[in-house]
Amino acid sequence: MAKALRIKFQPPLAITLLILGFFVFLPMLSAFEYSIRTPLTGGYGWTHYIWAVTEEDFLHYILRSMWLAGVTVLITLFVLVPTMTWLHLSNSKVRGLIDGLSLLPLVIPVVAFAVGAQISFPEFVQNTVLELPFLYFVLALPYAYRSLDIGLNSIPLKTITEAARSAGANWLRTITSVIIPVIRGSVMATIALTFALSLGEYTLTVLLHWDTFPTWVTYVAQDNILGAIAISMMSLIIPFLILTVITLFVPERSMQGRK
Amino acid sequence: MTSQVIEGGAPSRGRAFLASFLKNILPAVPLLLIVGFFFLFPIARLIYVSFLSNDNTFTIDNFKTAVQEPYRTGFINSIKIGVFSAAIAAFPGALAAYFIETRGSSKLRRTIAVMSGVLANTGGVPLAFMFYAALGIQGYLTKALKYLGWDLYSGTFSLGSFIGLLIVYLYFQLPLMIIVFSPAIVSLRREWSEAARNLGASQFNYWIRIGIPLLFPSFIASFLLLFASGFSAYATANALTVGNLPLTPLQIGGLLDGNVSAAQLNLGKALGVVMIVISACAVIPYLAIQRRSAKWQKR
Repeated sequence: MAKALRIKFQPPLAITLLILGFFVFLPMLSAFEYSIRTPLTGGYGWTHYIWAVTEEDFLHYILRSMWLAGVTVLITLFVLVPTMTWLHLSNSKVRGLIDGLSLLPLVIPVVAFAVGAQISFPEFVQNTVLELPFLYFVLALPYAYRSLDIGLNSIPLKTITEAARSAGANWLRTITSVIIPVIRGSVMATIALTFALSLGEYTLTVLLHWDTFPTWVTYVAQDNILGAIAISMMSLIIPFLILTVITLFVPERSMQGRK
Repeated sequence: MTSQVIEGGAPSRGRAFLASFLKNILPAVPLLLIVGFFFLFPIARLIYVSFLSNDNTFTIDNFKTAVQEPYRTGFINSIKIGVFSAAIAAFPGALAAYFIETRGSSKLRRTIAVMSGVLANTGGVPLAFMFYAALGIQGYLTKALKYLGWDLYSGTFSLGSFIGLLIVYLYFQLPLMIIVFSPAIVSLRREWSEAARNLGASQFNYWIRIGIPLLFPSFIASFLLLFASGFSAYATANALTVGNLPLTPLQIGGLLDGNVSAAQLNLGKALGVVMIVISACAVIPYLAIQRRSAKWQKR
């Protein structure tokens, strides 16, 4: 509260933001300027954006990336969230194990993981694009796990569960209609993070020879460079918008609860 | 008598085991299966195959080749770019995190958190485009600098060179530093600085004796994570270099795509295993420090 009263000009903060802003936005705006150039008429316009959006592959790949990211989010919601809630409630011995396992993907460089994936999975797994959401899930696991862990630690989980149970809810109902709504802040943060990571994943996807929105940009760059820059700008802005919308929709109260 | 007891005991112990399995492990099985099949299995297989020769006999030749040229240079360059990009980003990133966390409004902090999350994940072709547009031969900053009398491209500079790549890596390393270092700043309690001041400490004394010693482990931990991130980055290097700068992730990618010297089919796997070992040397201490400081960072 004391902080709210102290909102005045802060020179160190202003200088920090100025330098960061310069470093972040100069390359971004430079690329943006290229993407709205119209070389034929010499002026500016949305030609390349319109070209990209009307390109047949655009819709194909963006939808594919979206549903793959959606499946990754579903795995997170239906496997990770219930498991973690249960881990926090029970004093299971596997909690330590899962704690450690969930952080392990941080240790493995994605390139090495891609090589391992390429030589291990049976053909029926390698032949379906559905392998990607599971691999994305693994890549996002350290972040998703930590974010859910913070959420679950910040609420009186035992009390809430006992209340729900004694009011007659079964376990499933306790998790879906009591616990998840209470920790929706960190669930939303986890969804945002998993979705954004899946949407932008490049290294694993390209090394396993799949095509998604981020890898499609590389092909476009070969014959329409300005169009590819326009697509790149969109690929930056789309996750940014999704994340902003999600964090804005997370109610202030549950964000405070996380602290 | 005794045999009866044993006979009677065995099934109930079995049932007890089953009950405890159902209660203690079963709910974790789906997660364990996914992580086991999609993560542990590929990594285990990678390590196993890296020790196989072309006719599937045990060998360490893959590793011998992996530490010779040109792969040795690849590792040296990758480690160098990891260390330098982390070293350059760490201090400014920590300072920025400090000012943002201690002086920024809640709205600003949330906006920066979202932006850092997006920026730390930029890479590949989009990032390459941004830097071509700013620092390429026809880039805006290049032209501005030339106007001011500094011709970037008078020497050997290019975005695909070591220095060029280093600058581009900072674009995701700085936001990453802000993300991983901010929690440490948030947990510095104001009471501590007030208590120190009440006891007569100057601002300088507070930082030397309390602030910096408290933040130092987190700083080192963040540095280690940044190193791992720069060391293993693939997409950006792939988009910017044209085979002129040997880096291990690119070499592995090349081997995976079949530009393979048929002499050693499993060389790429050995390179991957060496990468894991190097990355583990940084990430495991990072995780250990994080866990330790999480104890006092809890409110």
